[in-house]
Amino acid sequence: MDVYEVFRRAGHKDPYEHCGAVIAPDPEMALMMAKECFVRRREGQHLWVVRRTAIHSFKDESLLDIAADKSYRFASAYRDVVSKREKARTRAAQIEDGTGE
Amino acid sequence: MSEAFASVVLALADDELVLGHRHSEWTGWAPHIEEDVAFSSIAQDEIGHAGNLYTLIARRTETDADALALGRAKAHYRHATLCERPNRDWAYTLARHWMYDTADDVRLEALQGTADPELAALVTKMRREERYHLLHADAWLRRVSQGPVEGRTRLIEALHETFADAVGLFEPLEHEEMAVKEGWLPVPSDELRTRFMARASAALDELGLPTDIHTRVAEQAEFVASSSGDLIADDEPAAEGVTPDATAGGRAGRHTGDFDQLWDDMTFTYRNHPGATW
Repeated sequence: MDVYEVFRRAGHKDPYEHCGAVIAPDPEMALMMAKECFVRRREGQHLWVVRRTAIHSFKDESLLDIAADKSYRFASAYRDVVSKREKARTRAAQIEDGTGE
Repeated sequence: MSEAFASVVLALADDELVLGHRHSEWTGWAPHIEEDVAFSSIAQDEIGHAGNLYTLIARRTETDADALALGRAKAHYRHATLCERPNRDWAYTLARHWMYDTADDVRLEALQGTADPELAALVTKMRREERYHLLHADAWLRRVSQGPVEGRTRLIEALHETFADAVGLFEPLEHEEMAVKEGWLPVPSDELRTRFMARASAALDELGLPTDIHTRVAEQAEFVASSSGDLIADDEPAAEGVTPDATAGGRAGRHTGDFDQLWDDMTFTYRNHPGATW
């Protein structure tokens, strides 16, 4: 018997979300069990089962911690680009019509 | 601020900046899209570390990090030659990535014991990110070394070259003696080099990769790594009279033509738009 992790999604545009696990001898039986354990009240229209041993993770999940400032990976870090661009455009226009340097 | 302290920090910062810049040149070109993102992130991490280190010096000398990173003449950079080499192919890039991050780990582990608490804290923070760099480099090295013959052949060739260059990361720093005496550099560079050689050799050996290296230091003498991790002269007459200064390259500000191109690219915006912010 193996442990199968169960994922379901409500509609075809929704992401699959983990909802629990079943113990079964093979994937076919895992689906049989999972259907009645996890979608018996119309919680989802689609179902996946994945043998737990097929799932991989970092042994040390502190690797996922962000150690340093990564603000440059967020759009909010570039908010002033709009005003800079406006300034640059104005300056370029002034240079073109001879009113700027 | 002590000159010796600045020398320790700048050598480290320049390595991270210059190598980070080379790594970033893969953005858009890496072997596949997921790796493109992963490798670009590593490039950003390295440049981020450089930024933090420059900021540390800048605050104490009333300059700014950009001026240190982008406003210096080429000969004032103190990075090792390994960092400025062009990327060439993916095998070379991987070999360098592995060599650099292995060496960096040896160096940063020692620097956690520096007498400057601010630098010690920063190094500890850097090592948290460098852990991923090491895992990433190890995972790739293992795969390519056990993969098809072409990749393995290219990798072996690249390891020969990068191992030789990696030794240059442990050239004596400017004011090295003072840096050790004042406690900024808790372990002298030659001891760090011995540690690195032992660690890199053991790891390569385990993967069945060759561990012998032939290195040309400042084009003046041939050295071969001995099993103890020390460099021994391959060619006695050529090695005679080679003093630490004469063998120093990057750490003494002596760079190759590859750095000319890199520096031109890297500092282009800063030079052409004084006062620009980003």
